[in-house]
Amino acid sequence: MNYDRPDLLDRLAAEYVLGSMTLRARRRFERLRVALPSAEAAARDWERRLMPLSDAVPVEAPPAGTWQSIDRRTGGAAARDPRSAARAAGPSWMAWLKPALGFAFGVVATIGLLRVDPGALLPIDAIVQQRGTLPPSYVGLLTDAQNNPVLLLSSTRQGRLLSIKRLVPVDVPAGAVPVLWALPRDGAPFALGALPAGDHAVLMLADTSEKLFANVPRLAVSLERAAPAPGAAPAAFLLSGHCVKLW
Amino acid sequence: MADVAALQTMLSRVALGDRTAFRALYDATSPSLFGVALRILKRRERAEDVLQDTFVSVWQRAGSYSAAASQPMTWLTAIVRNRALDLLRGDTLRATESIHNEETGDMDEPPDERPDPLGLLEQATDALAIRGCMDEIKGPQRQCLALAYYHGLSHAEVAQRIASPIGSVKVWIRRGLDRLKRCLDKTP
Repeated sequence: MNYDRPDLLDRLAAEYVLGSMTLRARRRFERLRVALPSAEAAARDWERRLMPLSDAVPVEAPPAGTWQSIDRRTGGAAARDPRSAARAAGPSWMAWLKPALGFAFGVVATIGLLRVDPGALLPIDAIVQQRGTLPPSYVGLLTDAQNNPVLLLSSTRQGRLLSIKRLVPVDVPAGAVPVLWALPRDGAPFALGALPAGDHAVLMLADTSEKLFANVPRLAVSLERAAPAPGAAPAAFLLSGHCVKLW
Repeated sequence: MADVAALQTMLSRVALGDRTAFRALYDATSPSLFGVALRILKRRERAEDVLQDTFVSVWQRAGSYSAAASQPMTWLTAIVRNRALDLLRGDTLRATESIHNEETGDMDEPPDERPDPLGLLEQATDALAIRGCMDEIKGPQRQCLALAYYHGLSHAEVAQRIASPIGSVKVWIRRGLDRLKRCLDKTP
């Protein structure tokens, strides 16, 4: 096609904006919009003409929770509340990308944060070495079905790092993802993240332990096929145990 | 809804990362935009997906909004419609390619057409004060335009809906658009 012809561009833009094009034709015109300023101008002209036709469409209140999902997806207050994030609907990879990005940013921000709160990003054992005493902390001991201790978890009250000590090897089948869950006193379980490999590991939490665990009497680990979607229910628990305050 | 100047101010604040303005913009425009998406997609959860994607995109792209190039609702409605049309076309493609239509069975529900697309077009032409001009467009042309615009139907789908040859539908839509352009460009 000869896209130098203004009448052709005008017709394509009109049909694009009207909505009668097939998906393939829409994609072609979108590429044209990017490449040709005259195509972009023609599309803008048709948008100016046709969008006011939408004023006749009856307004309809969006479903409750739509704003919270948007707020979370754009990094607003809901995104900073992990319990809200776990409840909100949205693409599952987003929920798991955030901790990864959070970790990346966390590394960059560590020096600055340490000046403000020395405990926020230090594993509990480092603080014990500094102080010589156990700081106020949350501690979890997860056992298997035979009540054998398997995982020891600890995090300082205002800290964001969960120290994990594997007391015995955990058998994780190929393709399975071991996921750590918090089981609140009153509410649905929410995922804290995938358990890192290694006998001694650290999991970066989405918020301080105090915010996450204040109303969480139990923790558990399930084996999932993939990272669970926000709000998804956990699979059967492989390990579980109490979460207690150490102060 | 807030007036044009207020929406422009909100968009300029959103471009600076102002979350209060972002919420105000959502409150002011989401019922209209959700209505537009719902009219095209028919299903509330699909329309909600589109609304979410639209506002995420607005948060990321508000800096590219140009008040000189388009009014805020024109810009926002175009984003919603484009996303809704893409989703609709994707659904149609999958339904066509699928031998078993079990997963998309709920798309076979009769669409809610109240008010019907032709009625919406007439309301809109009244509001835009182009009714007299548009009356020169014959009935089938107007129906084709209304089905394509309000329900996002393709040429082939419009042809099927009104049981007319696709060649005729293409000609009617083209003539209808030409007429609409003349009518709208004449209004101050």
